[in-house]
Amino acid sequence: MTCERSLVSVVDDDESVRESLPDLIRQFGFCARAFSSAEAFLASDTLGETRCLLLDISMPGMSGPDLQQELTRRRQGIPIVFITASGDHTVRLRVLAQGAVECLFKPFSEAALFDALNAALRMR
Amino acid sequence: MAESTEITSDVLLESSLPTAPLESILCTDELHRRPSRPPDYEKENRALVKLVSALADSPATIFQTLAETILDVTQCDSAGLSLLTRDGKSPDVCGQRFYWPAIAGMWNPHVGGGTPRDFGPCGDVLDQNRTLLFTHFERRYPYLMPVIPAAEECLLVPFYVGGEAVGTIWGIMHSDRRKFDAEDDRIMDSLGKFASSAYQALKHIEDLKIQVSEREKAEAEVRDLARGLEAKIRRLVQANVVGIVMWNLEGVITGANDAFLRMVQYDREDIASGRVRWTDLTPAEWSGHDERGVADLKATGIFQPFEKEYFRKDGSRVPVLLGGALFEGSGNEGVAFVLDLSGQKRAERALRRSETFLAEGQRLGQIGSFSWRVATDEVTWSDQLYRIYELEVGVPVTLELIGTRVHPEDMSLLEKMKMVYQAQGGANSFEWQYRLMMPDHSIKYLHAVARGTRDENGEVEYVAAVQDVTARRVSEEALDKARAEFTHVARVTSLGVLTASIAHELNQPLSGIITNANTCLRMLAGDPPDVDGARETARRTIRDGNRASEVIARLRVLFTKKESTTEPVDLNEAIREVVALSSSELQRNQVVIQSELADGLPTVTGDRIQLQQVIVNLLRNASDAMLGVHDRPRQLLIRTEREDGDRVRMMVRDTGVGLDRQGIDKLFDAFYTTKRDGMGIGLSVSRSIVERHRGRLWAETNDGPGATFSFSIPCGPNTITDRHS
Repeated sequence: MTCERSLVSVVDDDESVRESLPDLIRQFGFCARAFSSAEAFLASDTLGETRCLLLDISMPGMSGPDLQQELTRRRQGIPIVFITASGDHTVRLRVLAQGAVECLFKPFSEAALFDALNAALRMR
Repeated sequence: MAESTEITSDVLLESSLPTAPLESILCTDELHRRPSRPPDYEKENRALVKLVSALADSPATIFQTLAETILDVTQCDSAGLSLLTRDGKSPDVCGQRFYWPAIAGMWNPHVGGGTPRDFGPCGDVLDQNRTLLFTHFERRYPYLMPVIPAAEECLLVPFYVGGEAVGTIWGIMHSDRRKFDAEDDRIMDSLGKFASSAYQALKHIEDLKIQVSEREKAEAEVRDLARGLEAKIRRLVQANVVGIVMWNLEGVITGANDAFLRMVQYDREDIASGRVRWTDLTPAEWSGHDERGVADLKATGIFQPFEKEYFRKDGSRVPVLLGGALFEGSGNEGVAFVLDLSGQKRAERALRRSETFLAEGQRLGQIGSFSWRVATDEVTWSDQLYRIYELEVGVPVTLELIGTRVHPEDMSLLEKMKMVYQAQGGANSFEWQYRLMMPDHSIKYLHAVARGTRDENGEVEYVAAVQDVTARRVSEEALDKARAEFTHVARVTSLGVLTASIAHELNQPLSGIITNANTCLRMLAGDPPDVDGARETARRTIRDGNRASEVIARLRVLFTKKESTTEPVDLNEAIREVVALSSSELQRNQVVIQSELADGLPTVTGDRIQLQQVIVNLLRNASDAMLGVHDRPRQLLIRTEREDGDRVRMMVRDTGVGLDRQGIDKLFDAFYTTKRDGMGIGLSVSRSIVERHRGRLWAETNDGPGATFSFSIPCGPNTITDRHS
């Protein structure tokens, strides 16, 4: 599936996030795709097209920060917005220090998400 | 016969007393009246020369030679000597008997015989002090009657030594074939003088013999003594009980026994070479002692024992005690004994060390010692006890002094001892705790362990070890406080972890709800509104709302503080709930959960919440055990299965760091933990919960990495035991 608008990829092991978030992103006017794990995202053909990554921190297997490191290693400069249900501020600061655009604590507001996505997309 | 004179007993003596008067048997005057034969000087000279040479050649037989000479020159029938004697065998001027040492002629068989002084003619001759001629003297001397043949005439001449009469020489005619004349008188007179010389010569020879034999005897005694001493000294040297060394003042060691050689590690060849010098064996700092020893030797011939050191052959040193003396008359050579003091020095060092150790130990352990001798009321403190009491070491210990330190509310150790002694009166043990109040009002807690003993005289002495336990008291109090604080912190921390966990579980569905609601609103606000999309998102909103409510419900079940309840519990379901609640934490720790829950597992009867606490605990432990694992997957397998004997078993297997085999027995003890921030309560509580369900909880190490914890509980009703029964 090709999309002329910016593609936002969602990587989260929680099914309800994978169901709800892409719909809202599309409502914002972007394209959206969802992946249930970091490994699935890396294996997909959307790596190069993705203009922004909405990435869960805690996942079985490869975690969000692991994926962030892997992308850095591959010199894939995709802007990342982390989303997490843990509310752990130290983790948030760590990922921001690693170059993430934003880290949103679930549940987050529509406005916060919109601002974060725009900030990420402006970086391109 | 000689025998006849000898058997003349005392009974005979009575009848042998002189009877006829002396004058009646004397005819001395006749000598010069009778015609005299001419002198034969040649014969006389020959006889005298013969006598003199006999005296020189064989003095032992000189009297016999004299007797034979008389016989020869006077042509008489018997001739001999009579000598005063005490013992009848040897001459003695003080003797009261005469004996006949030599007789020639017919009376020769009577040699060795003799008479009491006044029972024969000799006594009268000595009394008259002149030559007498007797005729038939048996008329006056019946004692001589048995001596045959009888004497017709007898010429007796006394002889003297140093003016004292010692005996007579005599000649006897047994028949009247010849009469003594003046010529006989003259010859006998000169022979008498010779007899005197011979007597003296013999006497001197005898004296000489006695002297020689006495000298020889003394020398033999000295030799024997020396031989005995030598044997004793040789025994001492060879026994090697002490080192013996011979030396000279020039510094050479001339001989030594094995004991000495062993001490200094030299051998016989070294000594034989003469190269081993005592001056070289002596370390420089001891040479002063040697010099004093040599000075003593030169002054007194001996040196008093003193301690010093010798170098061994290998350069090490041996402490010794030595003392010695110069050989008598030598002035240069001497002998010394050497005792090896190594053992003694070692013992001294060991004693000093153990004393030091004791003092050190007392100082380190803050333990002082205290003794009280009942009989003398003598109190002794160790230095450390003074330090504990903060008193100057060595000041006399009195009740008053103790009173300045012991807490006013407490009884001092000495008072307690006196009380115990009065009550029980002897050897017994007790412990006593009391306090000191120092001048600055700080408090010291002391703990004493006292023991009474009786010595060999029955005297009682109490000895106590007194320990300053203030630091222990203080640290115990601090520990109690720290433990309380720690428990509080742990509680708060678990609450934090719990809160985070609850928040996580709730945030997921809440996030979905909000996102869906936003999407729903946007879809409805579109132109045209996406009603189908909005309906779908609204439905998902409701589903996420229900999920959130389930989380709350599960939490309520898990955390509502209910009394222990007994109900049928589906273990699989209980596990699923716990896994659902723990999954976020497990995920965060990158643990991959694999569940193998048996189908158709019978329910167990018990407290669901408590069993879930056990499961949570096992999962968390498994997860924590894998935190340090980076080289392999962090896998956690949960398995349930039905066991024989109507039991259900649950197993949690991890691939973590595994169990220390030594620690496996202690795993379930309270406060035992291998985790840096753990409390060590979990497994202990878990086991007691399982045991209340009549089950058991155990741990095993895996064949591969990690450990497996399992519990097994009987199925069926009423299996829970009442905690209070």
